[in-house]
Amino acid sequence: MKVVRILGIESSCDETAAAVVENAEVVLSSVVASQMTTHGKYGGVVPELASREHLRAIVPVVREALGLAGARLEDLAAIAVTTGPGLVGSLLVGMTYAKSLSFASGVPLIAVNHIEGHIHSVILEARRAGTEVAFPALALVVSGGHTHLFEVREGFEYRLLGKTRDDAAGEAFDKVAKLLGFSYPGGPVIDFLAPYGDPNAVRFTFARMKGNASDFSFSGLKTAVLRWVEARGMESEIAARRALRRGPSPPTAEEWLAATPRATLDLLASFQHAVIRELLTRAVAAAERMGARALIVSGGVACNTGLRAAAASAGLPYPVFFPSPGFSTDNAAMIAAAAFPKLERNQFARLDIAADAGLTLA
Amino acid sequence: MPTYRTATEDETIALGERLAARLPRKGVTLLIGNLGAGKTTLAKGIVKGLKAAAPEDVASPTFTLIHEYGGGRVCHVDLYRLDDPREVATLGLDDLFERDAQVLIEWGERFPELLPAERTEVRIRALENDEREIEVIERP
Repeated sequence: MKVVRILGIESSCDETAAAVVENAEVVLSSVVASQMTTHGKYGGVVPELASREHLRAIVPVVREALGLAGARLEDLAAIAVTTGPGLVGSLLVGMTYAKSLSFASGVPLIAVNHIEGHIHSVILEARRAGTEVAFPALALVVSGGHTHLFEVREGFEYRLLGKTRDDAAGEAFDKVAKLLGFSYPGGPVIDFLAPYGDPNAVRFTFARMKGNASDFSFSGLKTAVLRWVEARGMESEIAARRALRRGPSPPTAEEWLAATPRATLDLLASFQHAVIRELLTRAVAAAERMGARALIVSGGVACNTGLRAAAASAGLPYPVFFPSPGFSTDNAAMIAAAAFPKLERNQFARLDIAADAGLTLA
Repeated sequence: MPTYRTATEDETIALGERLAARLPRKGVTLLIGNLGAGKTTLAKGIVKGLKAAAPEDVASPTFTLIHEYGGGRVCHVDLYRLDDPREVATLGLDDLFERDAQVLIEWGERFPELLPAERTEVRIRALENDEREIEVIERP
């Protein structure tokens, strides 16, 4: 079998990443320079910082990915790069570098949609494990910026089935964490603390939405948590956690636990439970309607252990695929993986392709 | 300075549509209110009123910072995550303000020095149940 290698480059948001993937299956290298520590200080992604950090990281990250893979630029079949969605300033750093590499080496360029990358993260890992994803599959892409349901057909044709009408699921985690005094990102700390509380202590209900039954809404839940907090005068414990956050070193999970009373643990457990229920209920119903033969969950929120456990114990009549934690969050192996079907179809990008902040998949 | 009351999310969207008719084609509108007040909901109505997108396609820009609708005729900005004016300054808001576009900004009042003096301010307050009080102020 001919060896086909693609270099992937990703810089749409938090991470500057590069990876080399062989034959859509073997990850020869996957390097991610996380900006989380820089962003943590500001409670979020800061675009100017982001593009400056990307600029600083892009050359060494790509060089390291090629070096670890033992790959030479000239031997690559293609260079794949994320062209959207994301922050234009950040996207441009990866795209400009990918274009110059392509121009200098003559290796063709392939444009990849970041969201399609997340879906391919899972497909690649499943293939490597010898458990191919069967199609049609339902993909739930869930992160700080996205909450989408896609039907994925043979040949990687996509149909958007539903999306969030207001906040993304990861954004709900971040906002609830912030209003309670925890640090950014909110997902990991809430996921760690939730098992210490009672998920049925606070009953959150979702208003029934008109229109598309596969659309999500998390804004009402966020507001319900805010009202709950306001009604209980939690200022002092919130202030204590904010002080902990501003301390000399980032708090450990155990320190957060010690700073969180039982009633707040119950609130967090109930909130996480409600998010998981909203995600899974709509995903499962959509999967049934389209006759899915597999469920793919990916994006940063796919790291959530509560979501994984709930999906595993739901007794679904089709397999559920989650990426390993390093492949849930942004990485470049997923970008390279998503480029293989495009390479087969000779779907190359011109060097004047523009970044598209609002790029959609379907 | 008209003040409105809405009782449901749908009414807030309908009010946004009506407000859109009064907004200049090019201008800046601050949407001011606490977490959960209904800023994004009102933005849905304004975007719909300006015929730039359907309400269900207008989602929170908190993570992504800037959403554009109707080929850039409407920009929806959210500064919730930003704390330092220097960081906001580099977001390129000035370029947006110069465009022939209506720029809706959530959490913009935290950075008054970065905003044009001529602007519309919409203050949204959550009352009992789902009721909202919405006040529209033209500045200067």
